[in-house]
Amino acid sequence: MKQYILKRLLLIVLTLFGLITIIFVISRVAPGDPARLAAGPDATEEMVEVLRKEFGLDKPLIVQYIDYIRGLVTGNLGRSLRTRHLVLDDLIQFFPATFELTVFSLLLAVALGIPLGVLCAVYRDRFLDHSARVFSVSGVALPMFWLALMLQLFLALKFDFLPVGGRLGMLTEAPRSITHLYLIDSVVTGNWSVFKDALRHIMLPAFVLSFPALASIIRVNRAEMLEVLNKDYIVNARAHGISKVRITGHYALKNALIPTTTMIGLRYGWMLGGTILVETVFDWPGTGLYAVQGAVFSDFQPIMGVALLVGLNFMLANLIIDLIYGVLDPRVRYE
Amino acid sequence: MKSRLWKLMLVALIGGILIFSGTAQALEVRDGKKILVFGGRQPAPNIDPSQYYDWSTRMLQQSLYDALLKYVESPPKIVPWLAEKWEVSPDAKVWTFHLVKNAKFHNGDPVTAEAVKFSFDRTLSIKKGPAWMLLDVLDPSGIKVIDDYTIQFTLSKPYAPFVAVLPWWYIMNPKVVKAHEKGNDQGQEWMKDGDAGSGPFKKKRWEHGVLYEMEAVADYWRGWENPNHPDGIIYRLIRESSSQRIAIQKGQCDIVEGLSPEDYDVVAKYPGIYVTNDPGLTTFGVKMSNQKGYTKDVNIRKAISYAFDYDSLIKIYNGNAILEDSPFPIGLKGHVPTDIYRQDLKKAKEYMEKAGHPDGGFELEYVYVQGLEEERKIGLVLIDNLSKLGIKVKMVPLTWPNMVARGSKAETSPDMMAVFVTPIFNDPDVVAYQYHKGSWGKYYGSAHYNNADVWELTDKARTISNWEERAKIYEKIQQVIKDDAPEIFGMQYNRRWAFRDHVKGFVFCPMRFTGEVDLYPLYIEK
Amino acid sequence: MGERNATTEAQPVGALGAWAQWKEEHESLFRDIRLSFYLFSKSPLSVIGMVIVGIFFLITLAGPLIVPFPEDATGAVHMAQKLRYPGSGFWFGTDEMGRDIFTRVILGTRISLRIGLIIVGVAMGIGVPLGITAGFVGGWLNEVIMRITDIFLSIPGLVLALAIIGALGPGITNSMIALSLVWWPGYVRLVQGKTLSLKEESFIEAARSVGASKARIIFFHILPNCTSPIIVKASMDMGMAILAAAGLGFIGVGAQPPSPEWGAMISIARNYLPNWWWYAMFPGLAIFITVLGFNLLGDGLRDILDPQSRGYYRE
Repeated sequence: MKQYILKRLLLIVLTLFGLITIIFVISRVAPGDPARLAAGPDATEEMVEVLRKEFGLDKPLIVQYIDYIRGLVTGNLGRSLRTRHLVLDDLIQFFPATFELTVFSLLLAVALGIPLGVLCAVYRDRFLDHSARVFSVSGVALPMFWLALMLQLFLALKFDFLPVGGRLGMLTEAPRSITHLYLIDSVVTGNWSVFKDALRHIMLPAFVLSFPALASIIRVNRAEMLEVLNKDYIVNARAHGISKVRITGHYALKNALIPTTTMIGLRYGWMLGGTILVETVFDWPGTGLYAVQGAVFSDFQPIMGVALLVGLNFMLANLIIDLIYGVLDPRVRYE
Repeated sequence: MKSRLWKLMLVALIGGILIFSGTAQALEVRDGKKILVFGGRQPAPNIDPSQYYDWSTRMLQQSLYDALLKYVESPPKIVPWLAEKWEVSPDAKVWTFHLVKNAKFHNGDPVTAEAVKFSFDRTLSIKKGPAWMLLDVLDPSGIKVIDDYTIQFTLSKPYAPFVAVLPWWYIMNPKVVKAHEKGNDQGQEWMKDGDAGSGPFKKKRWEHGVLYEMEAVADYWRGWENPNHPDGIIYRLIRESSSQRIAIQKGQCDIVEGLSPEDYDVVAKYPGIYVTNDPGLTTFGVKMSNQKGYTKDVNIRKAISYAFDYDSLIKIYNGNAILEDSPFPIGLKGHVPTDIYRQDLKKAKEYMEKAGHPDGGFELEYVYVQGLEEERKIGLVLIDNLSKLGIKVKMVPLTWPNMVARGSKAETSPDMMAVFVTPIFNDPDVVAYQYHKGSWGKYYGSAHYNNADVWELTDKARTISNWEERAKIYEKIQQVIKDDAPEIFGMQYNRRWAFRDHVKGFVFCPMRFTGEVDLYPLYIEK
Repeated sequence: MGERNATTEAQPVGALGAWAQWKEEHESLFRDIRLSFYLFSKSPLSVIGMVIVGIFFLITLAGPLIVPFPEDATGAVHMAQKLRYPGSGFWFGTDEMGRDIFTRVILGTRISLRIGLIIVGVAMGIGVPLGITAGFVGGWLNEVIMRITDIFLSIPGLVLALAIIGALGPGITNSMIALSLVWWPGYVRLVQGKTLSLKEESFIEAARSVGASKARIIFFHILPNCTSPIIVKASMDMGMAILAAAGLGFIGVGAQPPSPEWGAMISIARNYLPNWWWYAMFPGLAIFITVLGFNLLGDGLRDILDPQSRGYYRE
């Protein structure tokens, strides 16, 4: 087991290394002069040269690559050309917002998706089942950013039900930082008005972000449930007069949960990708928005930092899910 | 079971509604302090006055720091600030400034000539941000401290516009900067979020990507004109215009910038909101390549200048813009009106004939900054207008650095390039020099305008300290440039902000950037 | 089968006879097709998908003929009629430059089709050969190809695409390059897996034992057996590629104006919410319906062509 984890971690490091190399190669074959942007519109050639030197952009590509890798080993992710902030500092600052949003969305998707999936299976071919089916089919086809805009339009702009964007209200002061997750920090510090404010702000983006995941969780759960419900032992149990609720809740659900669990790791990664769109619409100060701003300004190091962070998260999540899977399904062995 | 489940869901739903039907927040006052919220779209990641400036950054810098002089009002004038008076030698080379004696930094240190010298040295040697304004004419060795409150600048060559530059060179506290130096970075690492100023506000809460909060310095050395000045300012990032609009309508923000023209017109009708509308100095022009391709021919350039529908520029801004009538913006010192081009298809066709392309039959590139709405719209207008001359227009959106890179060389410079230029200081030299050979390679020099007479006149005007004499030279320059039609002379759009009614004291000054508000004179009246 | 062909060729028969003969020989194929159609028509969602995709193709072909103001998609401006309500003259209203939104949405289908075809085409062009090579040759080559594939799959496609665009610069061409680069690994995985399992099948063993060349085995035995899952995936991916490209257009790094690409239109339209809601509404609906069509079609195709994987929806 320990060996298995070590092996997986090593693989993650190697994959990240490959990821860096690939992005590096692609990024540096591209033309363009990011130093000029950072220097400002009126900068003289001399001033642009100062920046180029400072950021090592005057060195050959291979040297830049080695410098970057060397920096990574010491925990230095480079510096944004545009803002001159350390990328690591920025990521530490912006990632909690993204993490909070993603995890909340995931919980939302699971909390709504599993019961709905079960209900669909139990009430197969009834109204609920059909509407859930339409919902889950359309869930993946809906452009996330458009759904976000439409919800903003109706729930926030037309009817003043939820805030349009941001993490907190204009004058709400962020709770004392413990985890940097506002929802948790506000509870820990007992600051309920902030909690409510944070909850109101996270609702719309989280719903939009969870939408595709919700669709597939319902679908998978329904299919699994149907399969399990037709298994001999369930039929047997029913013949023995065990109540339907107990059968559904206890025996069937437990088995149906396994495939859902495996999906969650994948979904977490997809959601991190989705934050790029959702954070843009909802002005959510996280790494997605940060990456978009980097891309628009051809600011290379921040995008690279976000790519690494997301890749790492994605792979770690999958590792954790694989381990949990082993607990849920005793037949799995790690080699 | 069924009914129980439904009941459960109903309860959950009602609970949800109760939680989320939030109440409007009470704003403006927190702990008895009046706080103004400014909703803007652009972050300010680096507020070091020696490293960086753009409108949002400078708005914060102007609040945290003071300079020797300050721009106020419209038309812009320069008023004494840290310097109470100054003298200049007749050849515009030696400038002596006398500082006020009561100015002090936020930590109580006095603002001395030593601090002024330190600040200028720092900006000049870091070579970032505003350094370009003086790099050519001022060397650190030319800055001399005469006594604690007198400083003398000896320029390496005569430069009449020197005073006009000074409001953008903020004075920093040497002690604070030096205390935070890391290696030989001259405090750059710390200063991007640091406060070493003497300005009316000091830094309070900095949350990058979210907000920047400042609090008023109660005993600001220059005092406050109105006792109801805000106790604090929050510059809150709202990156989307519909959110900005909602924020001002609901009163969550007191000032917003950057709305679309349509949105400004909508919010102006709301009770409790007023919208300002003042002509700015930022000009929009379409630079044409004067060195290569079809636009090398002055006749083609004139044909295009006559074919363009200038009124559509005004329409794009819903009437909130004025057309340029000279290469120099209206309102700039030294501007005189000229007989500028207006749409006249007959004349345009005549010039096409003169150029030997009566039916057009070629394509021109129109390069603009990707994401800039107005530039995009103007490109669409160009496609429409030039099709009447048989000229096709290809729209090429580029990121800023790529566009600048293309415009920097005569060979790669696009046929047409959309450029907004804001004169950084109030002196005709700042615009005249854009047509000088020394500007080739800069984004505003992308036309690679070539007229040695204009260059010579521009150089000469810099060395004269007598204004009347200079003014005559600039008059001639404007006429010659207009005749050469190096670009489509476009418009100057109005600067607009939306304010809540209780915000008073706003003083418009066109020398500031679009979006930038001087926060010092504001006060609150309920 | 080869032998039977030889004998039939020897018999002198008329054209009609040959047709009857051919029909008889391929009876099982016809039965398959009929069954497929039957299965397909039994699934209303698949039929809806097919109809949507059919209409989509019709519109891309007939677009310029059916729109009222074709010049509005190429850059005409009519400042006098900006931001008009949807009505009889302008079915979907007009935008901030007075252009007919209906025209632009309709002509946007061509751009979306091109985006979808290019991305999926390039992804298949890279992915399928690599997948077959990896699966068929095996050994270290398989290792190398699959490890590189894993690297690309180690991060959500949108993030990687954004990183690539950050390097190449924004624009429709660059965003198609970026999306193609993140899309091919899926095909490698699919084809490699399929090839591996096929390699063990007895009919491949048989072909090998009678001395068929590697190329022959790949082109006549493995590739044809991979087509069904590839078609299913390609159909799904058409929709997803259009969706992804629209997303990039929306955040401002994809298609650029005056191109009537739907995502780019919404990106501008969001500044006109809520008063001018129709501007953002209709391009979004167009994306939704198109992607839905391709997804449903792909789903339906899967039920017929690839019955083993039935029941899961895009996982």
